Amino acid sequence: MSDFLNIKGLQASIEGNQILKGIDLEINPGEVHAIMGPNGSGKSTLSSVLAGREEYEVEGGEVTFLGNDLLDLSPEDRAREGIFLAFQYPVEIPGVSNINFLKAAINAKRKHQGLDDISAKDFMMMVKEKQALVELKQSLANRSVNESFSGGEKKRNEIFQMAMLEPKLGILDETDSGLDIDALKIVANGVNKLKNKDNAFVVITHYQRLLNYIVPDFVHVLYDGRIVKSGDKSLALELESKGYDWIINEVEPA
Amino acid sequence: MSKQDFLNQFDHITAALPLQGNARAIIHNGLEFPTTRDEYWKYTRTASIINTSFKQNDSAVNTLEQYLIDGLDAHLIVFVNGVYSSGLSSTNLPEGVKVVALSEASLEDKNLMCEHLGKYINSEDQAFSTFNTSYFKDVAYLKVDDNIEVKKPIHVLSLSAGEKQAINMRNLIVLGVNSKVNIITQYEGDNNSESFTNVVTEVAAGAGSKGGLYIVQNEGETASHINSTQVSQSRDSQFSVITVTKTGKLVRNNLNYAVNGEGCESNMYGVYFTRGNQHVDNHTYVDHLFPNCNSNELYKGVMTDKSTGVFNGKIMVRRDAQKTNAFQSNQNVLLTDSASIFTKPELEIYADDVKCSHGCTVGQLDEEATFYLQSRGLSKDDATKLLIQAFASDVIEKLEIDALRESLEEFIHNQFNN
Repeated sequence: MSDFLNIKGLQASIEGNQILKGIDLEINPGEVHAIMGPNGSGKSTLSSVLAGREEYEVEGGEVTFLGNDLLDLSPEDRAREGIFLAFQYPVEIPGVSNINFLKAAINAKRKHQGLDDISAKDFMMMVKEKQALVELKQSLANRSVNESFSGGEKKRNEIFQMAMLEPKLGILDETDSGLDIDALKIVANGVNKLKNKDNAFVVITHYQRLLNYIVPDFVHVLYDGRIVKSGDKSLALELESKGYDWIINEVEPA
Repeated sequence: MSKQDFLNQFDHITAALPLQGNARAIIHNGLEFPTTRDEYWKYTRTASIINTSFKQNDSAVNTLEQYLIDGLDAHLIVFVNGVYSSGLSSTNLPEGVKVVALSEASLEDKNLMCEHLGKYINSEDQAFSTFNTSYFKDVAYLKVDDNIEVKKPIHVLSLSAGEKQAINMRNLIVLGVNSKVNIITQYEGDNNSESFTNVVTEVAAGAGSKGGLYIVQNEGETASHINSTQVSQSRDSQFSVITVTKTGKLVRNNLNYAVNGEGCESNMYGVYFTRGNQHVDNHTYVDHLFPNCNSNELYKGVMTDKSTGVFNGKIMVRRDAQKTNAFQSNQNVLLTDSASIFTKPELEIYADDVKCSHGCTVGQLDEEATFYLQSRGLSKDDATKLLIQAFASDVIEKLEIDALRESLEEFIHNQFNN
């Protein structure tokens, strides 16, 4: 059993509809897991439940992260413990500066770790370095959070924030949706540079395309609230050519 | 308590100027205090004020420390319970600027004051203005000569000291031709004072002058405050009034502009943060009488608990006021189900070549934005405060004096702590 992230029999519902019907998943540091599956299978619900979105009701199962009961923590404490969710639809927040907000987030995390606030100099150096990583224009970092950013800029800003916060577990919720091939490469490249032996990533996607650039160690197929098949990266290629029907037929024999 | 009994509490105050005697005759006779049957006062009950036995204390303030705004570098003029305190004031005024209290004015200055005092405010049918004129004990008179630019702001601090004080604070601001100045009027008191401050501020903005009036209301949670400001603008002048309401059980602001010349700009901005059972009412009126003028208005409110906000803004564009640009907006966030806002933006236009807009919004903080900030490690409280500050930011940034802006940001930070 992994003492990094361990999901056992996770069941969750929203507004009375059960979406997750028993998820089992173990993730170790240094791994990249891809979660694929048709629309409505529960991919985004899984990421929302892990990040602590209040609308979702956990009805069963458990999730431990670094030995702690994750489901017991507030969303902010999950973030401070090292979980980062890159949103499928990043929120525009007019009037809140990207940079000030990131500084507040970093300091909240440092306080949680018993550290002093980051110095202005260290912070600015870090901003410069991480901006380069995702090729984010400096002007974007100084603007209000995601305000009038293009779709691609918003996703790059998510990866920029992830780079700044240096999470242990990064969850990318359909980060590839709405990206052209150049933006996709930049985003994937950013993730690859952040990857190391101490952190892990969960990449949720519809398409195999992103997995050409972020190569997963494991691929899981989510269908009707359960992981119905797991394999290595070749599973993703198989799904690309054959679709999901053959797996669905295996799960639900006619 | 009858109106006469209420007024009799004040009749021992010596009338320093003839206009005070005239005003007393008006208020003792026909003029009544407003009730909610008056459209202009529909949502704001003043009976709690008119039914109170008030006291009249002499000043008893030794230190200003708790009231001063951190980092504010200004010419400070202090009034305690409506009377000038030379001991607490500290001014080092540049040439061409006059700050005089009526109680210490020379005959010459008194005559200068009387050229303007009571000439702009409507004292015939607005009972609280007439009440102020009847019983003010002192006047803060600020005069900037022609072509003089005052670098540091002039800060008029009005304190209520002692319990149940009724204070008629009177300000008179006269801006010479092409002069420039920023004025802060700050109202402070103690939380349990149950005071009533009734302010009248008259502004005469000379041709080509540029002025800002910052009104900061923070008299504590049991205080009532009625503030009537009348701005009279001559041609090509720019005048901004920015009203920041922090505390007060009942706050009512009447801000009126008479735009008496071409090429004027009139700006009205306001923010109010209410909680508990607070009631904050902003009424504004701009009267565009001449062509080629602009007015901009933006009021923003954040209300929580069972507090109530009222906004009523009226823009009048007279037949001759062609090429007027007038914009008005009131935006509100309600943090609880039991908080409420009554908002009514109004336009009345008689000219046919103008550009005017008005609107209002009422909403909640965006839950998705709150979650987004939390998911990055900010506590729910900090996320809420950041979003409130962001919501109010387009008014906050109109506070061009850094210390005022910072003190307001700190206030927001403390106000919305859970």
